[in-house]
Amino acid sequence: MQTHEGGGVGVGENYEIRVKGHLNARWADWFDGLTLTQESDGTTVLSGSVMDQAALHGLLGKVRDLGLPLIAVHRRTE
Amino acid sequence: MPGSIVQTKLYVPRRRGATVPRPRLSARLSRGIDARLTLVSAPAGFGKTTLVAVWLASAAPPDRLTAWLSLDQNDNDPTAFWTYVIAAVQTVAPTVGTGALALIDAAQTPIELVLGTLLNELSAIPDELALVLDDFHVIDDRQVHEGMAFFVDRLPPHVHLVIASRTDPPLPLARLRARGELIEIRAADLRFTADEAAAYFKDVMALDLAAGELAILTGRTEGWIAALQLAALSMQGRDNVGEFIKGFAGDDRYIVDYLVEEVLQRQPKHVREFLLHTSVLNRLTGALCDAVTKQDGGKAMLEAVDRANLFLVALDDRRQWYRYHHLFADVLRAHLANEQPEAVAELHNRASRWYEQNALRHEAIGHALAAGDFGHAADLVELEWPAFARARQEVTLRGWLDALPDEQLRCRPVLSNVYAGMLLSSGELEGVDQRLRDAERWLTTTAQSDAQRAGMVVVNEEEYRRLPASVAVHRAGYALARGNLVDSVKHARRALDVAAEDDHLNRGGATALMGLAAWASGDLETAYQSYGEGMADVQRDGHLSATVGRAVTLADIRVAQGRLRDAMRTYEQALQLASEQGSAVVRGTADMYVGISELQRERNELEAATGSLLRSRELSEQSGFAQNRYRWRVAMARIHEARGDFDGALDLLGSAQPLFMIDFSPNLRPIAAIRARVLVRQGRTDEAFDWAREHGLSVEDELSYLREYEHITLVRALLAGGSAVEAAGLLDRLLQAAEAAYRTGSMIEILVLQALAYQKRGDLRAALVALERALRLAEPEGYIRVFLDEGPPMAELLQAAAVRGIAPGYVQPLLAQFVTATAEPHARQNLIKIEPLSERELQVLRLLATDLDGPDIASQLMVSLNTMRTHTKSIYTKLGVNSRRAAVHLAEQLELLSRTATR
Repeated sequence: MQTHEGGGVGVGENYEIRVKGHLNARWADWFDGLTLTQESDGTTVLSGSVMDQAALHGLLGKVRDLGLPLIAVHRRTE
Repeated sequence: MPGSIVQTKLYVPRRRGATVPRPRLSARLSRGIDARLTLVSAPAGFGKTTLVAVWLASAAPPDRLTAWLSLDQNDNDPTAFWTYVIAAVQTVAPTVGTGALALIDAAQTPIELVLGTLLNELSAIPDELALVLDDFHVIDDRQVHEGMAFFVDRLPPHVHLVIASRTDPPLPLARLRARGELIEIRAADLRFTADEAAAYFKDVMALDLAAGELAILTGRTEGWIAALQLAALSMQGRDNVGEFIKGFAGDDRYIVDYLVEEVLQRQPKHVREFLLHTSVLNRLTGALCDAVTKQDGGKAMLEAVDRANLFLVALDDRRQWYRYHHLFADVLRAHLANEQPEAVAELHNRASRWYEQNALRHEAIGHALAAGDFGHAADLVELEWPAFARARQEVTLRGWLDALPDEQLRCRPVLSNVYAGMLLSSGELEGVDQRLRDAERWLTTTAQSDAQRAGMVVVNEEEYRRLPASVAVHRAGYALARGNLVDSVKHARRALDVAAEDDHLNRGGATALMGLAAWASGDLETAYQSYGEGMADVQRDGHLSATVGRAVTLADIRVAQGRLRDAMRTYEQALQLASEQGSAVVRGTADMYVGISELQRERNELEAATGSLLRSRELSEQSGFAQNRYRWRVAMARIHEARGDFDGALDLLGSAQPLFMIDFSPNLRPIAAIRARVLVRQGRTDEAFDWAREHGLSVEDELSYLREYEHITLVRALLAGGSAVEAAGLLDRLLQAAEAAYRTGSMIEILVLQALAYQKRGDLRAALVALERALRLAEPEGYIRVFLDEGPPMAELLQAAAVRGIAPGYVQPLLAQFVTATAEPHARQNLIKIEPLSERELQVLRLLATDLDGPDIASQLMVSLNTMRTHTKSIYTKLGVNSRRAAVHLAEQLELLSRTATR
């Protein structure tokens, strides 16, 4: 995956995808190496660098295929 | 064989054992009979497939045909997708799709034509048909989606489509909904109600649960069926069911994680291993499982897993092929990747080998790519690409090439060259050169020693032998597309030098490209011969549409040669061939009608020319080449111009411009120049000179055939701007060039302009010498507009010619045409010279455009039916048509209907 300092076009963006339920850490690989954080409200946040929009939609497709209720998608700007 | 059909995809999947009856949903599906589309849209594990399958088996009307297609990743290719749709329909209606399948196999058939044929064949079947497309969410190919929208839009009323998908398909759902043509079953409908959950646990899974326990389970799972199933599996044979439920309810974990762990933990180790290892497979059968697990007894194991209800779906009647429920498979794969990450690639490798040994190359390539064994994947692609290319599965092929890492491609000259060919045919010129260089690296004579060939990979020796010729053909095509004629011919010659005698594809390709290069350089006879011979070789076993496509180019060359009659014959023969095909419209037919229209316009048969364009438009949706939309507008613009409607012509040219596409045929009449000619005729000479300046044109330019049309246009501007002397020198040179290459079409126009230039300078004698030459060349071919378009000065010259007895049999009728043309006001807005319709006839015409029948129209107008018929007849005569439909069509074209309405 391509990541560069500073962000910009064609460079990975940081996203957070929040789903309902606590997702086991073994799914990290499945989600292209995103970090899985289990929150106290019973949700899981998948976070990390996503190469582009196509990759983001690919990840959302995986969320869909697992029947995970999607709660929020958030782009982090630092 | 890439074209072979995996029959299991056409089989209605069955789950073992009983299912929960769902009468409310079945009833809704049955109501779908009246709708065009039924959409079952919900996430994984909501029982979509089961619902539709059970409904088909039990509740669907018995006289209804049902066709099923389970889609998978391999169907993301228009050819593969529609081949499977047709195969599915053929399981119940064997006659449907034979014509459409033949078209799919043919070269470059546009998908709309295939679908048009399929829809026709579907509308001919006597029975109601339900076509189910399951797992539609796997489709993300834009072309397939566009084809589906076209298909749904035109579905015959007795054919019903059922789509099951995890995401809403990109079809115009809102419109279908508004028209009541859509029945939807969504997640909220599919969730198990408390009653259904109770029935499921009790009747299907033989678990007796208390009402409170049931409520907890349905609450925690929100009626999600996959989760309830997993919960039931976890509870079977447990003593402490109450405790399990309590633990489950109090846990925040992703339900499936929690439950699958419960289920897997309860399996014996060898079953657990079997499930994990076989989870890499999209389809399972005993022998394949044995190959992947390196164990025996895969068949028995599958049967045991099936009996245990472990989410196995049977894909055929004999229980040979299965698949895991998708959600369960995903969880198993995640477990596998987590617990035995090092095993995954090897499992895919074993699967790839098994598929390869069983001649299922598509799957073999897929697993090799998944294994990350790109070398092996590339080997397979190299061996199999000719078959996939023949089957027109370009999208699939391109997907594989894109998936292979660059270093795997670069050491494989055959694949590098295949890649270059694919880029070239899709007009992506950028990458072509690099790919060809990658291939050429290995072909240089010095590199033939073994030492230098080290590092090169060739598995398809047959293609490698053909490679020098094929690379040269691609080089020739690349040079031609970039307008480099000299290099194009050089490479094509080289291709012929190195191609084997029986290598028809490359010999033909090279010859045809030389023909096109000759055309672009103005050597028309060579162009005609080479292109014709070459394409005949390329298309040896080709489809009729290829023959028709070739005819369009050959006729174009004939027109440039001034051989209008030969051009017309070429079109007529190709149309005759096409019509012998029966009902199907052959691709290129629409293009031929545009060509015919241009010939008719030259003969000043403007009504017929317009009629041909209308015919072309009726056909173009189904049968036009991409360039046809451009050519159609230019042809229509020139008819407007011939009628003196210059603004209309400019509008049409403006709309044509963005539709132009670069192809291998030379662009001999750039649209800006066509526009400049209209400006000259409008007297906007300054703007025409602006055009000439912008395009760097001057009378001193070196001449080339590619710029001939522009230079003649410059001459026209000069003559109109009063610089006849300046124009004369250029005209002389243009004439010499055209003469030398026997371009009679150009010669006639140049001579006409020469005559006008001499006339302007007061040299009538010289003017008539030039005119006489033009007349002698033009007479046998029946040219008219080339004289008529020049207006009164030409009429004067023709009069003078008539007085001197020059070509009397031709000049007299030409002069008669001038009389007709000038008797009508030049600025006439009407497209076609028609006898004006009376006010009453216009009223009748407007009513003919409605749905009213004859008696209704008569009563509306308060006349007798006979009087109404007299009016209708008179309208038909004046419009030169013989049906109501044709009259309305033409009236729309001439804007007669709107004009009446605003009056």
